[in-house]
Amino acid sequence: MKALLIDTIRCTGCRSCQVACKEWNELPAEETSFFGGPGYQNPKDLSKNTWNLITFNEVKLNGRLKWIFGKKQCMHCLEPGCVSACPVGALEKTADGPVIYHKNICIGCRYCMLACPFQIPRFDFDSPNPYITKCRLCHDRQEMGEIPACAKACPTGAITFGEREDMVREAQRRIAENPDKYHHKVYGLEEAGGTCVLHISSVPFEEIGYITDIPNEPVCANVKPAMKAIPAVMLGAALILGASYKFRNRTRDEEPAAHG
Amino acid sequence: MTNHWIDLRNADVVMICGSNAVENHPLAARWIQKAREKGAVVLSCDPRYTRTTAFSDHYCKLRSGTDIAFVGGMINYALQHGRVNKEYVRHYTNATFIINSEFDFEDGLFAGFNPDTDPPSYDKSKWKYELDGDGVPKRDMTLEHPRCVFQLMKKHYARYDVDMACNITGSPKKDYLKVCDIYTSTWKPDRVATWMYAMGTTQHTHGTQNIRSYVLLQLLLGNIGMAGGGINALRGESNVQGSTDMALLFHILPGYLKTPKVGQETLAAHNEASTPKANDPLSANWWQNYPKYMVSLLKAFWGDHATEENDYAFNYLGKISGPPRTHIAMFESMYEGDVKGLFCFGQNPAVGGPNCRKEIAALEKLDWLVAVDIFESDTSVFWKRPGVNPSNIQTEVFLLPAAASMEKEGSVVNSGRWAQWRYKAAEPPGEAISDAAIITKMVQAVKAAYEAGGQFPDPIVHLDWNYNVDEHGEPDIHMVAKEVNGQFTRDCEVKGKQFKKGDQVPSFAYLQTDGSTNSGNWLYCNAYTGPNKEDNKMARRGKEDAVNQIGLYPNWSWCWPVNRRIIYNRASVDLHGKPWDSKRWVIRWNPALKDGAGGWEGDVPDGGWPPMLKPDGTENEKTKRPFIMRTEGVACLFSTSLKDGPFPEHYEPLESPIRNLMSVQHNNPAIKIWEPDLIADPDEYPVVCTTYRVSEHWQAGNMTRNVPWLVELMPNVFVEMSPVLAREKGITHGDWVHVVTTRGTLEAQAIVTERFEPFVIGGKTVHQIGVPWHWGFNGLATGDSANLLTPHVGDANTMIPEFKAFLCRIEKGRRQEMHV
Repeated sequence: MKALLIDTIRCTGCRSCQVACKEWNELPAEETSFFGGPGYQNPKDLSKNTWNLITFNEVKLNGRLKWIFGKKQCMHCLEPGCVSACPVGALEKTADGPVIYHKNICIGCRYCMLACPFQIPRFDFDSPNPYITKCRLCHDRQEMGEIPACAKACPTGAITFGEREDMVREAQRRIAENPDKYHHKVYGLEEAGGTCVLHISSVPFEEIGYITDIPNEPVCANVKPAMKAIPAVMLGAALILGASYKFRNRTRDEEPAAHG
Repeated sequence: MTNHWIDLRNADVVMICGSNAVENHPLAARWIQKAREKGAVVLSCDPRYTRTTAFSDHYCKLRSGTDIAFVGGMINYALQHGRVNKEYVRHYTNATFIINSEFDFEDGLFAGFNPDTDPPSYDKSKWKYELDGDGVPKRDMTLEHPRCVFQLMKKHYARYDVDMACNITGSPKKDYLKVCDIYTSTWKPDRVATWMYAMGTTQHTHGTQNIRSYVLLQLLLGNIGMAGGGINALRGESNVQGSTDMALLFHILPGYLKTPKVGQETLAAHNEASTPKANDPLSANWWQNYPKYMVSLLKAFWGDHATEENDYAFNYLGKISGPPRTHIAMFESMYEGDVKGLFCFGQNPAVGGPNCRKEIAALEKLDWLVAVDIFESDTSVFWKRPGVNPSNIQTEVFLLPAAASMEKEGSVVNSGRWAQWRYKAAEPPGEAISDAAIITKMVQAVKAAYEAGGQFPDPIVHLDWNYNVDEHGEPDIHMVAKEVNGQFTRDCEVKGKQFKKGDQVPSFAYLQTDGSTNSGNWLYCNAYTGPNKEDNKMARRGKEDAVNQIGLYPNWSWCWPVNRRIIYNRASVDLHGKPWDSKRWVIRWNPALKDGAGGWEGDVPDGGWPPMLKPDGTENEKTKRPFIMRTEGVACLFSTSLKDGPFPEHYEPLESPIRNLMSVQHNNPAIKIWEPDLIADPDEYPVVCTTYRVSEHWQAGNMTRNVPWLVELMPNVFVEMSPVLAREKGITHGDWVHVVTTRGTLEAQAIVTERFEPFVIGGKTVHQIGVPWHWGFNGLATGDSANLLTPHVGDANTMIPEFKAFLCRIEKGRRQEMHV
C-alpha cells in the first residue's frame, strides 16, 4: 500500500505540484482574478479542474507570524466512505492505495460527496454528462512505475511517496527527532480509519484549515448501517439512476476512451 | 556564485539576505533543505516576510536600501566580539596592508572626492597601498599599525554599533542581535556560513557596496573558499551567468576582457592599459595573461585575417567613446533621439525597464525596432498599447519568432558556473528559429551588403563565421562551442606537448600571444577538449562524487574555470595546506602524491603551487598567495578600485523617507543623477516602495503571462501592505488602490497582510509597501508594470537601476488617468 507524506515544514508554497497535477491530468486553468483565498491562494478551492490545491495560511505562533502552506487533495482513505457510498461501484479502492474513479460507471448521484469526511470530491455541474472529479494519486503513473506528478515536481521533499508503513515511520521519525519544530501528530494516520495521504506540520492542523473533527473509525462503518436501514430507497435509486446511466452510456460508448 | 547550488547543503548557517531565494530560485530550497536536515540554521533578512522567510528559522526585517547599515553592524559585532578568523585574515586578505597617509574619511566622504565632475568622482590615488623599495605593499603582520587596513576598518565600522544599525534599518534589536550572534558564530574554522544574494542587493544606488559589505564579513569569518561558504550571487535567469561570461554588457568582451577605449590605438597600448602588474613574487597575478586571451579572442573573431602584421585585427574592434552605454544611459540617449534602431533579444523594457513609461516614450523615437521573442512581447506592441493611436507612432517594428530554450541545442550556464549541455526536445513552432540562426542570417546579409562596398568593410567581410550552416540556416552549435573553447591555428609545441593545426586547446594555460591559438572565451577553454561530441565536457553526466564527498560531482557537466567547483579554494586550507575544516575539506595537500613531490587532492585547486609554508615552517618560495585573480594575491577588505569608496558606507537610497543618520552625506556621492527634478519629497511621498518577483511569473512576464496555469495562480498585479497602513488609508483586502510616484501611477488590488509591518526609523514610523513587476499590457494576464513607478537612477559602479527602494504615496480607488 503506497502513500504520500506531506510535510508543511518543508513546503515553500511554490506550487510546482499544483501545476504538475494539472499538466499530467490535462486539466484546464481556471479563470481567476486577484486571489481566491488568503495570501496568494488560487483558485479558491478544489473544483472539477483543480484536484490539488496549496492553501496559504498566516498563523500566529508564540506571538510571531508563520506563513504555512497546506495541501488539499483526496486523502485516499484505507476504507473510503466514498467507495462504500457509491451505489454503482464507480469508485474503487485499489490494492496499491489510490481511490480511483470509473467515469463510465458513475451515475452522478453525488453520494460520495456527502460521504467524504474530508469534503474532497467535486461535481461537474456544468456538463450535460456530469461526473465526479478528484485526485487519483496518479494511479496511471504508478502503473508505469512513476511516482505521482506532485511528488515528482516537489523541489524540497515536502511531498514524498512510498510504502505507507515507511511513510508513517518517516513522519514519526521527523517528529521524534525535532520535537520542538513539529506538532506531535500525523494527520491521516488514524483519521477516518487511516488514509494514504499523511500530513505533518509545525502547528495544530485546525490552525491551517484542515478538518480535524473526523472520527478515527472508517466512514463506511457509519454508512453501511444507514444504507441497510433504507434498502428499498437505495434499490429504487439504483434502478432509476442505473437506467439513466444505461441511457447516457449509449452515446458514451461511441466516444474515444477517455485517457488521463 | 563562488560556490554552487549543491554546496548549499554544506552550510551551518544559510543567510538569505538580498535575495528571495526560496521564492525566485525554487530549486535552491532543495539544497537548503538538505542543510537544514543536518542542523543548519536558515536566516531570512528582508523588508518583507516572504516564502523564503516561511522556510527559515529566524527572521529579521530591515528597511529597503539599508543593507550596509545592517551588515556594517554585523561587521562591527564580529570585530568587537573577537569573532574573526585571525590567521585567515592575516594571510589571505589585505588586512595587514598599510594604506598611504593621504587616506581619510570624514563627513561621509573618503579622501579624494571631487564634486565637480559629472558624475562626482574620487581621486583613487588617495587610497593607495604604501609600498616598499621593490614596489611591494608594506604589511604589518601584527595588525596593529594605525594605518593598516584592519585598524582602518575597525575604526570605520565602530560607528556602526547595534543601536545605530537598528535605528537606520528599523530592525528590532532582539532579532538583529540574534542574527549577529548566529552568523558570526561561523568565525570558528569548523563552522561555515553561506550568503545568498541577488537583485535585492544589487538594485540600489550602492548595490556594489552592498555586495562588498558581505564580502568583508565573509572574509573576517574566514568563510570564502570553504565548502558551505562563499558569496553566492543567484542569477536571475537560467543562463544569465553564461550571457555575462560571453559579454552581454557593453564594457566587456567575452571572458571579462575589456572593451578597448578610444586612445588605445594599438593592441600593445590596450594590453598595457588592461594588464595589471605585481611586484610581489608571491602574487600569481593571473591577469598578467591578459594579452594571451585577447590575441586568442581576436583570432576567433577574424581567423586568418588576424595576423601579427595587422596587430591581430585589433583595430577591427569598436572602441568606447562618449557616455557609457548602460541600460539607463542608452534609453536616455534614445529618449533624446540619438539612437535610431534597437534589437531586443528576449528583452522587454516596456515592462522591465526602470521608469518604463519614459522607456516606452523612447521607443517611439526610434526609426526601427527588432524584437526577437517566443511570444509577442509588450515591447514589440508598444505602438498599439492602450491609450495610443498607432498612426501617431512612426517606429517600424519587426517581430522575429525565436525558438524557446528546449527547441534548440546548446549550453546553459547556471549560477554555480556550470555549463550544462542541453538537447533539442521539440521542433520550434511555425517560422521560429534559434537565436544563433537569426544572428547567422543577419551576419550573412550584412556581409553580403558590405562585400558590395561600404565604409571600412574589413571587420565585417573578414569576420570568421564558418559554422557549417545547414539548409534551415542553423549553424552547427558544436562548432561554435569548439571555437569558444579554442583551437590551435597551426602546428606547434606548447609546454613540451605537440599540437596540430585544428587541435582543441586543452586549457587556457596553453593559450598564446603569437596567434597560434584562438579562443572565443578563455574562461571556457577546457570545456570542449577534442574533435568529437564525446569531448564536450559540458555534456558529461557522471554521478560520482569527488574524493572529499562534499557534493562537487566533478564529472557532471563542466564549470569554469577548469572545472573548479569552489573558487578561492586555496583559502580553505591553512599555511601548511591542511583544511581549516577537516570534515568538509575542499582541497588538501598530500605530500605523498607525485612520487613524493606532493600535490593537492579534492577540488581543482586555484593553481597547483605548494602550500605557503614548508613542513619545517619556513616560507616556501615556490608558493603563490590564494586569491590569484587579485594583483595583491589576497582578498581585499579595502578596495582601491571601486568608484564610491574603499569601504562600504551607508548612504540612503536616492529617494528616502529620512535624512541619513550616519553622516551629512545623504546619498551615494558618486552616482549620476539623471532626473534631479523627479526626486520625491518625503513629505509628499512618505511611503517606501520596493519591487520584486514571485515564483509563478518570470521577469517581464512574456513567457509566464502566456501560460494559463501560471496565470490562474497569479492573475494580476497586486500591492502588499501592512494592516496599519491599510487602516490609515481606509483600505481593505482586495480593494483597488493606486500608487503614485513622481514617475507615474500604478493601480492594483491590495493584499493587506501582517507579512508587512511598519518600521520605526530614527523614532519615526515609516511604512513600506511592495509591488511585483511582472505585468504589462499584453499577453493573457495584463496589469500595470511596477516600473511605471521606478526611478531612472543606477548604482555608482554598475548603473544597475535602483528598483528596490524609492518613495511613493498610496490612495484608495483606481487611478483616474491612463498613464501608459
